[in-house]
Amino acid sequence: MEYIVETHHLTKRFGKEIAVNALNLKIPRGEVYGFLGPNGAGKSTTLRMLLGLMRPTAGSIRIFGKDLKKERISILRNVGSLVESPSYYSHLTAYENLEAMRKILGSPKEKIDEVLDLVRLSNAADKKVKSFSLGMKQRLGIAMALLNDPKLLILDEPTNGLDPSGIIEMRNLIKRLPKEKDITVLISSHLLSEIDQVATYVGVISKGKLIFQDSIKAMRNKAQLKIRLKVSDANNAYRSLLAKGIKTHYQDHIIYLYEQSDEAVAAVVETLVDEGYSVYRVEEEHQSLEDIFLKMTAGGDDR
Amino acid sequence: MISLLQSEWFKLRKSKFVFTAILLGPLITFFYALMLQPDTFGLEKRFLWEFLIAFTTLLYALRFLPLTTGILAGLICRYEHQNGGWKQLLALPVTRSRVFLAKYTILMLITLTMQLLYLLAIWTSGVLKGAEEPFPMMLLWKSIFGGWIATLPLLALQLWMSMLFKSFAAPFAVNVVFTLPAILAVNSEKFGPLYPWAQPFLMMYVSGDAENDIFFVPWEQVLTVVGGSFLIFFFGGLLYFRRKENI
Ligand SMILES: Nc1ncnc2c1ncn2[C@@H]1O[C@H](COP(=O)(O)OP(=O)(O)OP(=O)(O)O)[C@@H](O)[C@H]1O
Ligand SMILES: [Mg+2]
Repeated sequence: MEYIVETHHLTKRFGKEIAVNALNLKIPRGEVYGFLGPNGAGKSTTLRMLLGLMRPTAGSIRIFGKDLKKERISILRNVGSLVESPSYYSHLTAYENLEAMRKILGSPKEKIDEVLDLVRLSNAADKKVKSFSLGMKQRLGIAMALLNDPKLLILDEPTNGLDPSGIIEMRNLIKRLPKEKDITVLISSHLLSEIDQVATYVGVISKGKLIFQDSIKAMRNKAQLKIRLKVSDANNAYRSLLAKGIKTHYQDHIIYLYEQSDEAVAAVVETLVDEGYSVYRVEEEHQSLEDIFLKMTAGGDDR
Repeated sequence: MISLLQSEWFKLRKSKFVFTAILLGPLITFFYALMLQPDTFGLEKRFLWEFLIAFTTLLYALRFLPLTTGILAGLICRYEHQNGGWKQLLALPVTRSRVFLAKYTILMLITLTMQLLYLLAIWTSGVLKGAEEPFPMMLLWKSIFGGWIATLPLLALQLWMSMLFKSFAAPFAVNVVFTLPAILAVNSEKFGPLYPWAQPFLMMYVSGDAENDIFFVPWEQVLTVVGGSFLIFFFGGLLYFRRKENI
């Protein structure tokens, strides 16, 4: 697989606090990578390091296969970004904000109208950004991020401050970009529901550590139903099953089945009864993505 | 680099008060020069140019020039501090050194423009006063260009302070604190030549005994005091900006 972003043991320390702890991010090309984590998990710090705004304490970053330390300028030419609250020059109009940026990037002037149109700000192009609502500023931020036709788009909580229709618009835009323009998107959020709707790939960060990284499909698989068995003398029952070659998962006096077909469940129950264990309950347990996310991120405070 | 300069100038010129700030010093110089009467000092008319420059530098080089450049240094950083401008700018394909250099260059060019406007103010008032001699090229070089050179270290420090402090008032206060004693320093034989904030005045002020020097102050003084303070302030600011973490 071709990785657009690859970090190796990326670490950032603020004094004694380790804000980002040995992160190995792998962001495949053409995906919308959802970077998910609760407040203070280290998302913004990571994104700042990816943009060269902050120096890592340790570890390395490769973007487009190039070392960020050595080829920062040529990498950033193809990166668009929106980090934390939207940035803007309040004394300039939306158009002028983009023009100040365009002069540096050297993109053609038509690009300005194009990106303004894309985020539906064409009507407000000549208004001072001072008078913009938070949602309009956020959209201007997206327009700025797209001005250089980036290959990688880094968005830190881009739906902050948007109203419901703005959120839907933003979602659709983000989903469209990889298909239409071959853009890889890295989008952070502390809300699973946000990520769930747009991302095709997920990284979960908690207390500075990356605790999950895979496709959203793999994450959903984790969320599938489980069959749980409550039996007498559960620990020994688990061993007997294992001795018969039936793999299960034992936790807190409950046996969880990996195989979930009707036949497999029937076979396990039959075996247990044959061995002389009493089967009290056979239940289905549903887990939502939200449950999984909460469980993942609630994990021990061991940084 | 050129594109960065264009972008910086674009942002700055759209700010309020930029042109007012640039024009104020030269304009006041112009009216002040019109009011000056060389006859009352018993001066011959052929020294009119020297007279005008010598008298107006007290106001211009000692006050307006350093204070205006301080304001401009504040303005050129103000909009970056306000709404996350720094992080947006530095996430573009630019290096911090270039951003620093671009902002410094803009300040440098504006200061040169101010010097030329000052020259224009002196020249116009001199012509209106019926000057007989043409404007001496020696004065143009020594006073106008010399004053510009002397301001370069101050610009560097002002830019450094404006990057360091988020507020507009703090770097300006620093600037005032260093600028005010300059009036005392220029009267001191010992301290004056060493004080960086006194240099714009000393280098613009017409003093007859330096006829043979390149500037109105000894060459060694330009090199050590102006050059030395420039190196410290410029590279201090540049290093500070390159290492700044909380962008
Ligand atoms: N400049 C800084 N100096 C000191 N500590 C910092 C700095 N920036 C971030 N931190 C700390 O690093 C940790 C991670 O912060 P970060 O902003 O990366 O979290 P986040 O995941 O983006 O959170 P949120 O969802 O609230 O945006 C926090 O504990 C924060 O206090
Ligand atoms: Mg954040």
